[in-house]
Amino acid sequence: MRTDPIRIGSMVPLSGTSASDGREFRNGLIMAAGEINARGGILGRRIEPVFADTGSQTAEVVVRAARGLIATHGVSAIINGYNIGPQNSEYEPIADAGIIYIHHNTLLQHHDTVASDPERYFGCFMGDPAEYWYGQGFIKFISWLRDTGRWKPRNRRIAVISGPKPYSIVIANAMDACAAQFGWTPAFPPRIMRSLKTDWGALLDEVRGTDPAVLAFTHFHAGDLAKFHLEFMRRPLPALLYLQYGALHKSFSEIVGPQGRGTIVGTVIGLLRDEPGRRFTEAYKAQFGPHSTPEIGCQPYVALHHYAIAAAVAGGVGDPGDFAANRRIAEVLLQLPYRSVAGMIRYHPKWQAAVPYPDATSDPSMGLPHLFYQLHEPEDAPALIAPEPFADSAFELPPWLAR
Amino acid sequence: MSAAAAGQYAAATLDNLRLPVSYWSADLKLLSWNPAFAERFSCFPAGIPTGITRDRFIDAVERAGLLVQIETRPAETGEATDAPTLYFSDGSIYRLESWQAPDGCRTTICLDITTAQRNERALRKARDAATAADQSKSRFLRAANHDLRQPLAAMKILIYSCIGAREEAERQQALHAMEVSVAIMEDLLGALLNIGQLDAGRIHPSIQTFQISAILERLRIQFDHQAREKGLELRIIPSTAAVVSDRVLLERILSNFVSNAIRYTEVGRVVIGCKQAGGQLQVHVIDTGPGIAPEFREEIFEEFFRISKHQDKRRHSLGLGLNISRRLADILGHRIMLRSLPGRGSDFAIEMPVGNIWHSTISEPEISEQIGGEFAGLACLLLEDDPHVREALAALLERWGITVLNLVDLSDIPRSLAALDRAPDIIVTDYRLHREYLGTEIVNEVNDILEKPCPALVITADTGPELIAGIRAQGYPVLIKPVGPPGLRVVMHNLLFEPEAVPELN
Repeated sequence: MRTDPIRIGSMVPLSGTSASDGREFRNGLIMAAGEINARGGILGRRIEPVFADTGSQTAEVVVRAARGLIATHGVSAIINGYNIGPQNSEYEPIADAGIIYIHHNTLLQHHDTVASDPERYFGCFMGDPAEYWYGQGFIKFISWLRDTGRWKPRNRRIAVISGPKPYSIVIANAMDACAAQFGWTPAFPPRIMRSLKTDWGALLDEVRGTDPAVLAFTHFHAGDLAKFHLEFMRRPLPALLYLQYGALHKSFSEIVGPQGRGTIVGTVIGLLRDEPGRRFTEAYKAQFGPHSTPEIGCQPYVALHHYAIAAAVAGGVGDPGDFAANRRIAEVLLQLPYRSVAGMIRYHPKWQAAVPYPDATSDPSMGLPHLFYQLHEPEDAPALIAPEPFADSAFELPPWLAR
Repeated sequence: MSAAAAGQYAAATLDNLRLPVSYWSADLKLLSWNPAFAERFSCFPAGIPTGITRDRFIDAVERAGLLVQIETRPAETGEATDAPTLYFSDGSIYRLESWQAPDGCRTTICLDITTAQRNERALRKARDAATAADQSKSRFLRAANHDLRQPLAAMKILIYSCIGAREEAERQQALHAMEVSVAIMEDLLGALLNIGQLDAGRIHPSIQTFQISAILERLRIQFDHQAREKGLELRIIPSTAAVVSDRVLLERILSNFVSNAIRYTEVGRVVIGCKQAGGQLQVHVIDTGPGIAPEFREEIFEEFFRISKHQDKRRHSLGLGLNISRRLADILGHRIMLRSLPGRGSDFAIEMPVGNIWHSTISEPEISEQIGGEFAGLACLLLEDDPHVREALAALLERWGITVLNLVDLSDIPRSLAALDRAPDIIVTDYRLHREYLGTEIVNEVNDILEKPCPALVITADTGPELIAGIRAQGYPVLIKPVGPPGLRVVMHNLLFEPEAVPELN
């Protein structure tokens, strides 16, 4: 019986533009490892996290990180948050080593890569749903607001602006593709911004000319979103405003301040505000300080717990090259859903990605909730307004529409 | 044997008997029973009270939820006066047989007929299904014989006139008429097969929540042309409602309504619109056709129903559409409604539950990059003369939702470009094409002609550093064969959406 520690690799941006998220991803993994070790580890073996900084998050850097973790540290699995740039190229060294990889890149590309060779990519899992679901879910969300009389849109037009990354483009395309089925008319084809050093005022004036009832910006970076938002607030359009995931960041509310109030933001993986969620939040803040962000740290936290359960059920972890042991773990990950602090992680058998609720299942106990928030004051937690049964607040008309 | 001993033995026999036995007085009061009876009717907390009347006994076991139903049938044989069937809540079925003694008292026994009853039911069901299938087959053959004869006869004549045609125009005319006849036969066979499936109970609905707009759009695509050809206006009023139904079956029902409306309307319009009330959505198909006389409003839903035979011959209708619609609606539990004013038009409607918009499924069964990826809907001009490499690359690009284009003749680029269905958004080219052409030269020529020049990347098996540096110096990123999907994806993404991130372009 082996007693040496189990090394779990993690590729996290500890420097660069995503460093604040990277720190939380690191925290989440450390916290989960601590909890598992306190229970005696995985079948008696302690977990030892090994971090590799992916700063710029380019394909080259992330692939190098994966190779290093496998070759130098002999990690049994790699578990982390997201890395924006590698476009799945990091799957290659991981598939060669036959280890488990759980990430939160939120990319539809994951489905394609896994489906292209399920044998080879058996160990690659995406702990959250693909970004595609943001688009579909958002259209359902605004339709729900409309159909339940919570909000009366001025017209049926929806304007969609995308950032230059695949993530943003896929979300924008998904919104555009399903808008008509739900009674919306795209004001123009999704505008893909090739550069974010843009004059937002001019762009917003152009959008104003199309008179949309909804304006969605699918770029994710908090700083860019804040600049966009401040420009929007200089002369608000009479439209519902949706900003992608990054607007949930503290840095966004720090820049935007009380002007953020009323903005809609979504995430396909967030922290639930039920009893387990609250308990996790308290423990996380106690360990990493009052300014830490458990909403982000929960991603690798959840994934490591799920992995530990699967590895224990499968009879133990596998070193690089131990395909048989790792295949057993992958099978258990697929067969054994895990109700985490973020909601239910149930891997789709073909996608090997978490199934989203209510986007891909109508049963809240069978999917990871796609959460919609509305920003309030910077010091307040954002109001969780949908979907049922997770919502804890009601939608309010944004101040620029209520006036 | 003494009488006492005989009585004891008789009592012991009854005690050991696994059949519930009871003994009732002439005025139907319970006098005695064996343990099997007490066990069967074990709902009396203090035991079965002696002297309880039959009515009160039955009332008690029914109230306790032990007995679900008593079915009384007239006596068939022997001395049994009647033999009611008792259905117990545990699923068991007993037949109660009783015999009257000369003094009017009755002995009853409960016979367990659960298995026999179930077998009988299964046999009856199988027999009914077989009979129905047989009838269906006969009906199918009758209908096929009757209705397919006409277009077949027409085909025969048309084939002869095609063979004998002296002029091309004449032949074309005959061929067109043959095409129409074949389409009619296809429709007829399709309808007959539908009926066959319905008869055989082979249609199992898949109930989902979805946007009714998706079906309205499909109806528009399906019928717009047909309506316009007939000089009719097809108006579809948009709806944002989500409904709970089966996509395919609901569309089939509505298609039948719309196709009838167009078939029987000579002037005016066909309007499709929705009305929501009390958690239900009604989809109406309203026409300005001849309307339906009140006496036919039920009959039109019957199989092979025809108001006028002459009319049907001209319109190639079997009279099955509405019957199929009604039967499908029955399967779905939806209500079909009909209002009609002869001379003014008809309004066929179907009603279904309104769904929760959050649960609405998009028509695509499985999401993938082909449908929702960042490259979906773009076109790539792929220049590669090695058939194996070309095939592999084209398959990869198509999986990402990209339309792959090709230039048929590299010696005449303007003509080859003009022959394309659409302009490319990006070019992927091999460096050496057919020996004499260089990919980069072709790209330059293509971009000189295109209204909007498009970005290009070069793939090559040549690993000579000078050659690669030379291509890069011209501003084209280079990938070395064999090209891996992640590498290709990164370069394509950057070229299309983040040109600043392509080193060769800066």
